[in-house]
Amino acid sequence: MKTIPPPCHEPETGPKYWRGLDQVAETPEFRQWVEREFPAGAGEWTDPVSRRHFVRIMSASFLLAGLGATGCRRPVEKIYPFAKMPENYVHGVPQYFATAMPSRRGATALIVKSSDGRPTKIEGNPDLPDGNGGTDPLAQAAVLGLYDPDRAMRFALNGEARGRQAALDALTKLSETAGDGSGLAFLLEQSSSPSRARLQAAIAGKFPKARWHVYEAVDLDLGRQTASLAYKTPVEPYFKLDQARVILSVDCDFIGSEENAHGNIRRFAQGRALEGKEDSMSRLYAVESLFTLTGLNADHRLRLPPSLIVPALARLALKILAPSDMDGKLRDLSAAAQAHDSWIEPCAQDLKTNAGRSLVLAGYRLPPAAHLLAIAINEALGAVNHTVEYHTAPAAIDPDLAGLAAALKGGQVQTLVILGGNPAYNAPADLDWPQAQAKAKTVVRLGSHEDETAWNAALHADAQWDLPQAHFLESWGDARTADGTLAPIQPLIDPIFGGITELEVLALIGGLTPSTPYEIARETFRSIGGDSENAWRKYLHDGYLAGSAAPAASVRHDPSALAGALAQLKSAPSQGGLEIVFYRDAKMDDGRYNNNGWLQELPDPITKLTWDNAVLLSPATARRLNVDYRKRGAQNQKFFEHTVEVTLNNRSIKGPVWVQPGMADDTIGLALGYGRQRTGRVGRGAGFDACKLRTSDNLYYAAGAVLRDTGDTSYELATTQSHWSMEGRPVVREANLEQYRKDPAFAQKMKPEKPPVESPLYPNPLDTTKLNGLHQWGLSIDLNRCVGCSACMVACQSENNIPIVGKEMVGKSREMHWIRLDRYYAGPVEDPQAVTQPMLCQHCEAAPCESVCPVNATSHDDEGLNVMTYNRCVGTRYCSNNCPYKVRRFNFFDYNRRPLDHLYKSPLVTETDGQWELLRWLKNPDKGNLPEDQWQLSRLVKNPDVSVRMRGVMEKCSLCLQRIEQAKIAAKVKARDSGHIRLSEKENTVPKTACQQACPAEAIVFGDTSDAGSAVSKAKKQERTYTVLEFLLTKPRCTYLARVRNPNPLMPDYREHPMPRTTEEFNSGPFSSPESETEPSGKGAL
Amino acid sequence: MAAQPVLDERSLIKVQAPPASLEREPLVGSQHGPGWLSDRIAGVIEGETPGWWKISFAISVTMMTVCFALILYLMSTGVGIWGLQHPVMWGYAIINFVWWIGIGHAGTLISAILFLLRQRWRTSINRAAEAMTIFAVMCAGIFPLIHIGRIWYGWWLFPVPNSNGIWPQFRSPLMWDVFAVSTYFTVSVLFWYMGLIPDLAVMRDRAKTKIRKFSYGLFALGWTGSNRHWSNYEKAYLILAGLSTPLVLSVHSIVSLDFSVSQLPGWHTTIFPPYFVAGAVYSGFGMVLTLLVPLRRMLKLEEIITVRHVELMCKVTLATGSIVGYAYGMEFFIAWYSGNPYERFLFLQNRAADPFILGPLFHVPPAPYWWAFWTMVTCNVVVPQFFWFKKVRTSMLAVFFLSILVNVGMWFERFVIVITSLHREFLPSNWGYYGPTWVDILQFLGTFGLFFTFFLLFLRYIPLIAIAEVKGVTPQADPHHPLGGAKVGGKH
Repeated sequence: MKTIPPPCHEPETGPKYWRGLDQVAETPEFRQWVEREFPAGAGEWTDPVSRRHFVRIMSASFLLAGLGATGCRRPVEKIYPFAKMPENYVHGVPQYFATAMPSRRGATALIVKSSDGRPTKIEGNPDLPDGNGGTDPLAQAAVLGLYDPDRAMRFALNGEARGRQAALDALTKLSETAGDGSGLAFLLEQSSSPSRARLQAAIAGKFPKARWHVYEAVDLDLGRQTASLAYKTPVEPYFKLDQARVILSVDCDFIGSEENAHGNIRRFAQGRALEGKEDSMSRLYAVESLFTLTGLNADHRLRLPPSLIVPALARLALKILAPSDMDGKLRDLSAAAQAHDSWIEPCAQDLKTNAGRSLVLAGYRLPPAAHLLAIAINEALGAVNHTVEYHTAPAAIDPDLAGLAAALKGGQVQTLVILGGNPAYNAPADLDWPQAQAKAKTVVRLGSHEDETAWNAALHADAQWDLPQAHFLESWGDARTADGTLAPIQPLIDPIFGGITELEVLALIGGLTPSTPYEIARETFRSIGGDSENAWRKYLHDGYLAGSAAPAASVRHDPSALAGALAQLKSAPSQGGLEIVFYRDAKMDDGRYNNNGWLQELPDPITKLTWDNAVLLSPATARRLNVDYRKRGAQNQKFFEHTVEVTLNNRSIKGPVWVQPGMADDTIGLALGYGRQRTGRVGRGAGFDACKLRTSDNLYYAAGAVLRDTGDTSYELATTQSHWSMEGRPVVREANLEQYRKDPAFAQKMKPEKPPVESPLYPNPLDTTKLNGLHQWGLSIDLNRCVGCSACMVACQSENNIPIVGKEMVGKSREMHWIRLDRYYAGPVEDPQAVTQPMLCQHCEAAPCESVCPVNATSHDDEGLNVMTYNRCVGTRYCSNNCPYKVRRFNFFDYNRRPLDHLYKSPLVTETDGQWELLRWLKNPDKGNLPEDQWQLSRLVKNPDVSVRMRGVMEKCSLCLQRIEQAKIAAKVKARDSGHIRLSEKENTVPKTACQQACPAEAIVFGDTSDAGSAVSKAKKQERTYTVLEFLLTKPRCTYLARVRNPNPLMPDYREHPMPRTTEEFNSGPFSSPESETEPSGKGAL
Repeated sequence: MAAQPVLDERSLIKVQAPPASLEREPLVGSQHGPGWLSDRIAGVIEGETPGWWKISFAISVTMMTVCFALILYLMSTGVGIWGLQHPVMWGYAIINFVWWIGIGHAGTLISAILFLLRQRWRTSINRAAEAMTIFAVMCAGIFPLIHIGRIWYGWWLFPVPNSNGIWPQFRSPLMWDVFAVSTYFTVSVLFWYMGLIPDLAVMRDRAKTKIRKFSYGLFALGWTGSNRHWSNYEKAYLILAGLSTPLVLSVHSIVSLDFSVSQLPGWHTTIFPPYFVAGAVYSGFGMVLTLLVPLRRMLKLEEIITVRHVELMCKVTLATGSIVGYAYGMEFFIAWYSGNPYERFLFLQNRAADPFILGPLFHVPPAPYWWAFWTMVTCNVVVPQFFWFKKVRTSMLAVFFLSILVNVGMWFERFVIVITSLHREFLPSNWGYYGPTWVDILQFLGTFGLFFTFFLLFLRYIPLIAIAEVKGVTPQADPHHPLGGAKVGGKH
């Protein structure tokens, strides 16, 4: 039979050729012939309509790709082969884009991985001059926030969806009717965006009478405000902690909760790094009420109730500042802290001795006077331009929320525009914000969630527009990082829920053109980086504008501001009762990350609590108030604490007690950001709302609180670490600097015993052959650099598709983190020293887990990795039992596929979305039993290079095997015939593990130990290197560098040794465990 | 009529029984004929179903159903419904597995080792004990299967040739377990069935209904009791006894290797294999006593299962219990003597330190599981010491009560080994506490349902005493016995 050749596809343009009359006529015979000849779906191609559709989509893709617009999402449902691949796109190969995550005063420059058009992993931008690629947990978790199924997703008027256009029209109408702007008020969040500043100025020009307010529940801007006062010019401080030899933090948690913490950690760790015994390291003093990460890393720590912190600072100032007419006031102020002279005196001396290389930091909770005092001390110490620089900064908007509330109540505000923030939740309680907000006639609110500030059925303005806010990964914008470098915010995806940005809203209200965020950002860049298209492209490509960092301003200190502030400062009234510290939570911030599961499940760096905040009390105070932890019942990681009622000025809240060693006595610590009333499915029910106690004059410290035990001990707190003491075991090894200098190899001598044999009695013949790979991977963790910030934990979670398990599961120690930060206390309960230690799979060469797995699911590869074959695992869990480090994690339930509140319910008897779970599963086993929206979104955040584990499977750290393999493949592709496939650090081809990449302190070093020149080989050669539990002869590939403290011998709390007991003490006595007597918790006991 | 030969008084060989004080108690007290024995034992089956049987059976079946329903729940939902948690990854399932396997030891020990050692008293109890073994191993066998995370891939533990070329990992003790337990189960069933054949034939011959005749006949394999049959039977029985004997020792040794091959303090102990076997025999005899002491009364078998049997079993219990006690002491000694601080910590601070004496003495906080440890010591070390006293051994009530304590103690021994070693080991940050959930507890109780369902069915359908064998040890089976033959005085 003669085969008729298939028809040629005609070009879209140009003359049409026809093969025969049949074709022209589109006769049924011709169509039938076409369909018969070709496989299924071929008909699609002959259908001119859908073919055109395809071409249209394709050309749109090309167009966007050509523009460099990375935000386009390819259609999800229809799959067409790329007849012609978009430029630079290879299916399955991730792309990386530079962007930035805005924070209050700054931004974190990022490189975001995009897997087939969806952002999946966030990394810091390592190219930034003021950065090393390290980030904080909040940035790492932001990618989950993007796929939060509970985000605001509709344009609503008074709670009813109205469609995007209607909302935008309403904004335009607003702009037309605003007149001179009287009655119009803007409530913004802090921002470093030059675009916003530009729009703001433009709008202010158009509506001169409009009111502008900035509100942050936790205002980290005080340093800038006070510096501007002290230097009479708008400047902001920039701390060069790496330059400082002596640092005093006055209630300033610069490692944890202050602005730009990851930048501070990077510089601080640089100043602490030790390569050899000749190196010097900085010394950190901390004065604080809570036990913070900064206190944990301090060499000397003075715990004081809030009312004594300013006096202590004043006392220090008296000893450092030159005599002046302020001394009288300072002396009055400092009288209360007299008892602590023995601590303050040598500290002041040390600061003075190291003048020019010392630095005093004041925290955001302190009053302006304290900041001014710290600035004066830094001036006296000659710190300016050495350890602290002042950069010119734009003047900020007055953050007068109280004024706005008063204006609202007075009816002076008709239209209120709230862009971001959640004042209805976290505004000071005395302002009664929801009431005030309802007084406006029209409220326009841009918010990421339909939260407390969104339209409220019970109490609302006449008209309230709620606009969904685009995530920073969905929007164009710009921001300045801590040192003032301009960084672009580039979208990686179209707004998933159609959200819009703050810039768009401002432009629309201002009636400004252009109003698309891209054009706005582009326009702003023209004024900063010039008109050149190349400069713009380079700026987007690099993720920052080189040379845009703010230069150090030459400033002249003016002490009059300090004198004025001191005069206004009330000396601490000796009110009875307890003092309260309201603090920014390490995870929830002021509540904005409340619906982020990774952050909810991330243990607090100090308390190790998850999913909750608590009423923090010192052990002595808890004992005195009879709400001691010793009275509680404990079940593993689940604690049933006393629920107490804290009353302050007739406002009261209820929450569970958490006894926190190292807290100041008679002080209550309350974390903000919990107890949200209107939040998503994740954050619902987490913690209690401490904002209810805050008032305008007691934003961070309050005195005169009363605590009453409700007698209820049914509330459950879940922590990831229930035992606090190291029991004298040499798990974390540390020494003082002098000891280290005398004996740099001290850590290796802290073994409980020498191994009985140096090698196994019956060597496994496979042991030698199995380690003959081209590379030999290893890891070294410097405990002297690690500060415990936990960025690595979230980075790992994001990279490796680690599910969250919920509070109940954490209470049963079933959290899934592959890397955890163990935190141990040593010394007296009231004033302990603490250490942190990242603990992850140690990749033992003689891995105990491997020999006991009956199905070969965990085995060794020839490059020294202990690898886990999820598909082969049947879940006997023997490997976990035999792992001395207990770093293996088991999927007790189908965490990835079932709702967390359904875990215990059998799919045989439950429904999701009104459909029987078993039936759903039978219909489509690849589909989870999560509600449809959650399921769809939860899949988007997954890293396609890592398998998602099902229930019944053991998992653990793989040292980011997927990254190693990608690097190896890339090397092989590049090598071609040269055979040069070895990854090398010199050529920058060795990948970084996720934890390493996220670590701002550069504490984690991964690399090839068979390459003598690699960083990891060098680190392992350091004398501080030791192996945890080396006597078991597991020969881990992960080693630690011992921690070194740098205490001052003149201080009252100086000790010859760090507090954890030495090995000798551990070994002495027949059944000795000396630590147990001073064990702070009694936890773990029944 | 032929005259009786006149025997000279002097020419008579005087056969005289040893004095009563030296006379050994007969193994079977029955003075009745062999027919009575058959009637009595078969009567348990042929008689009317007793009321207590019906009630017990109803309860057992209910519990068994609960057990299987919970297994379904487990399979559909995940092992998370148990109390397992980091770092205690093995819990009730493994405890119950080891406990049931231990119980399964007595049967084969009685039937094989005692057979080879010519301990003929075993005949009265071996059938029931072997049945107990099989059902206990069945209960045990459930747990390793269902305790794994992906039950449906349990067959990967078997060396099934497959296209991936992946074999099980033969270095893993769990692998050895699979072979040890399945071999033990297979041989135990064979051995038990072998012994059953003559009795099944008896039942077939006595059967009144066709169904009974057919089914007993089917399993009796055409047994006629011919000489040749008996000869083959005896040989086969001896071979199987020889095969089973090492298995009795191997199976629990290998189960113990699940623990001692690991490097966990409290598990990594060379004493485990003998100590586990002794413990297993101890618990197995405990269970046999728990079952047979009430049964002999309820089924009116006191003449066949005599007080002497009970006493002998008590003695075995005492011996093995003392070995177990010695092993406990040795573990402590080694922990101290090794100088390993982790071992010392484990034994003192995870197990022994109670809040009253040891804790204050060594200045340590009480061990979280001190109560479990001391329950174990009381039941396994103190309780068997009562069996030194004949009064206790012969008091059925006391024996019954103490035998239950033996079982409790042995369950706690496994609890102590599994849980207390795991919950606080090397790195204190991992430490935790384990508690069972309701599913754990009900599933454990549910296996009793399974066990008793089978055991009750066994009682009703299979002769619970080896009819053929027990006849052989009656006094009258002895040709020298007055009732059995011409001569007086000869004993079994």
